[in-house]
Amino acid sequence: MQSKILLQQNFEIKGGDFINAGESSIKIRNILKDIGIDSDIIRRVAIVAYEAEMNVVMYARHGKMHLYVYSNKILLKIEDRGQGIKDIDLAMQPGYSTATEEMREMGFGAGMGLPNIKKNSDVFNINSTIREGTKLEIKINLNNKNG
Amino acid sequence: MAETSLFHSIRIDKKKCIGCVACMKICPTRAIRIRNQKANIAYGKCIDCGECMRVCPQNAIVPITTSSADLNRFKYKVALPSPVLYFQFGHHIMPHEILSVLKEIGFNHVYDEALVCEMVGLAIEQYLDENKSPRPIISSTCPVVVRLIQRLFPTLCKNIVPIEPPREIAAKNLRDELSKEKNLLKEDIGIIHITPCAAKMVSINHPATMKKSFLDGAISIREIYNSIMMKIKKLGRPSILQTQNRISGIGIGWSIPGGEIRALKYHNCVSVSGLHDTIKILEDVESGKLKDIEYLECLICPDGCVGGPLTVENRFIAKSNALRLIRMYGGKKRVDSNFVKKLYNDKFFSFESSVQPKPFPPLDTDRTKAIKKLKFKEKIARKLSGKDCGLCGAPDCITFAEDVARGEAKLEDCIYIKIKRSKGEGKYEKKKT
Ligand SMILES: Nc1ncnc2c1ncn2[C@@H]1O[C@H](COP(=O)(O)OP(=O)(O)OP(=O)(O)O)[C@@H](O)[C@H]1O
Ligand code: SF4
Ligand SMILES: [Mg+2]
Repeated sequence: MQSKILLQQNFEIKGGDFINAGESSIKIRNILKDIGIDSDIIRRVAIVAYEAEMNVVMYARHGKMHLYVYSNKILLKIEDRGQGIKDIDLAMQPGYSTATEEMREMGFGAGMGLPNIKKNSDVFNINSTIREGTKLEIKINLNNKNG
Repeated sequence: MAETSLFHSIRIDKKKCIGCVACMKICPTRAIRIRNQKANIAYGKCIDCGECMRVCPQNAIVPITTSSADLNRFKYKVALPSPVLYFQFGHHIMPHEILSVLKEIGFNHVYDEALVCEMVGLAIEQYLDENKSPRPIISSTCPVVVRLIQRLFPTLCKNIVPIEPPREIAAKNLRDELSKEKNLLKEDIGIIHITPCAAKMVSINHPATMKKSFLDGAISIREIYNSIMMKIKKLGRPSILQTQNRISGIGIGWSIPGGEIRALKYHNCVSVSGLHDTIKILEDVESGKLKDIEYLECLICPDGCVGGPLTVENRFIAKSNALRLIRMYGGKKRVDSNFVKKLYNDKFFSFESSVQPKPFPPLDTDRTKAIKKLKFKEKIARKLSGKDCGLCGAPDCITFAEDVARGEAKLEDCIYIKIKRSKGEGKYEKKKT
């Protein structure tokens, strides 16, 4: 059943900007708290949004994150312009990472981002074109207690 | 049910309050508004951090602790001081002397937490051994951190270590021991924590993880300091208590930052103190960023409990006093780990119930309406100056926009909107761009 979009918000993500990295996922979290989404769902959205945002910061030039709230689900779309992923199956492997030495110094590069996104979403889609960019689409269902 | 001051550790003395914006601006949960030139606390949002009390230039924010009348209800009074009490005095006054003075000023019994700190440390270690997720596990010691998590980071309630802090365990143990030893009714024993913060009062009156706290009340270090000093002046060096020579370096160490983690065998532990740094790190934890950290000790006050709002000594001096005492008493463990293991397995240390999320109420309980209000809030926010002047009675423009959206404030309360309207919208817009 197709339900209609109750809320849409867009966020810009700048590649390479480690200082402001994570801001969009904090904003998303606050919005979901404002509209009374269950805290377990917020936890999952927070992880997904944060990991996806960080991947844009680390591996792309520029990206956008779109948040859609439906009555029965939350949809996140993240699209970036950047290096793209050559082998998606490989990138999805836990532990696989091409993070640089500097990124590892900052605590990134465990190769757990994409696997964690997948683990926390109900529907997960990834598309990537090498040297163009990457698109993620994540759905998280709302267990509707209050409409 | 709306929370009232009864659930909290501070109240505002309306006679002294002059309605300046100091407390409203500093409040981390934006719980304070100025209405009719007086500060008002929305108690449902208050986490009892005490920041407002620190900044109030009029001393109009009053901590609520146990009164002497309340104390006198008990036949047998026991003082259970936070070790921070020991750090308030200079080189020449030692912990056991302070403990004996407490007996001179009206307590029947005194107890030092040190051994219990060691025990709780071992219990935390066993919990970490047995539970490999979630990570990081967060300390339960500071009641403000627990409340902050319930309110602002409800998704992290599961990360709080389900083990009561030393003050509660000590009281639990003491009541059993004393009622047997001295043949007393349990309810005749009043166990009073001597505390660096009023927040403990809330965790005693309204504990987050059990029906009833094992403690019966709390008196602040600030309240009791003068009586201790006066007694010492009058008596000279107090006679040293023979039976209570249990003070240990590990126990004392618990009350300065890093104290909990110093004794753990886990290496990847982090200690954070101070309100803003605590909020920052909890944001990171909520993002799933710090999963490789085993244990996170968070204390709301700068430098932890030595920086508590109801202490007397400057926190840097207090910390230095603490370090000296730790060196003096040494770091030898004196607790039998098999005994602790048995208690742990009997759930002696465990929370009665888990910490429940208590998030701030959403803009509306009906989701469709909440989303409408969110959009309205954003629309208003775009109209506001962004100067965060506070004249409207809200701490900043965004919060004011939220108040308007919730129907708790009127747009005209903003002085800039008022000016804009009196000058005519158009003119103002042109000037701005
Ligand atoms: N948006 C993206 N653009 C280009 N490459 C990406 C993108 N997202 C992921 N990758 C590639 O996939 C690999 C795995 O990503 P994943 O998020 O799982 O781990 P990581 O980012 O390397 O480490 P971690 O997320 O644990 O810090 C990355 O190292 C990178 O090579
Ligand atoms: S850090 Fe210590 S003194 Fe400060 S609020 Fe927490 S428990 Fe109280
Ligand atoms: Mg990643």
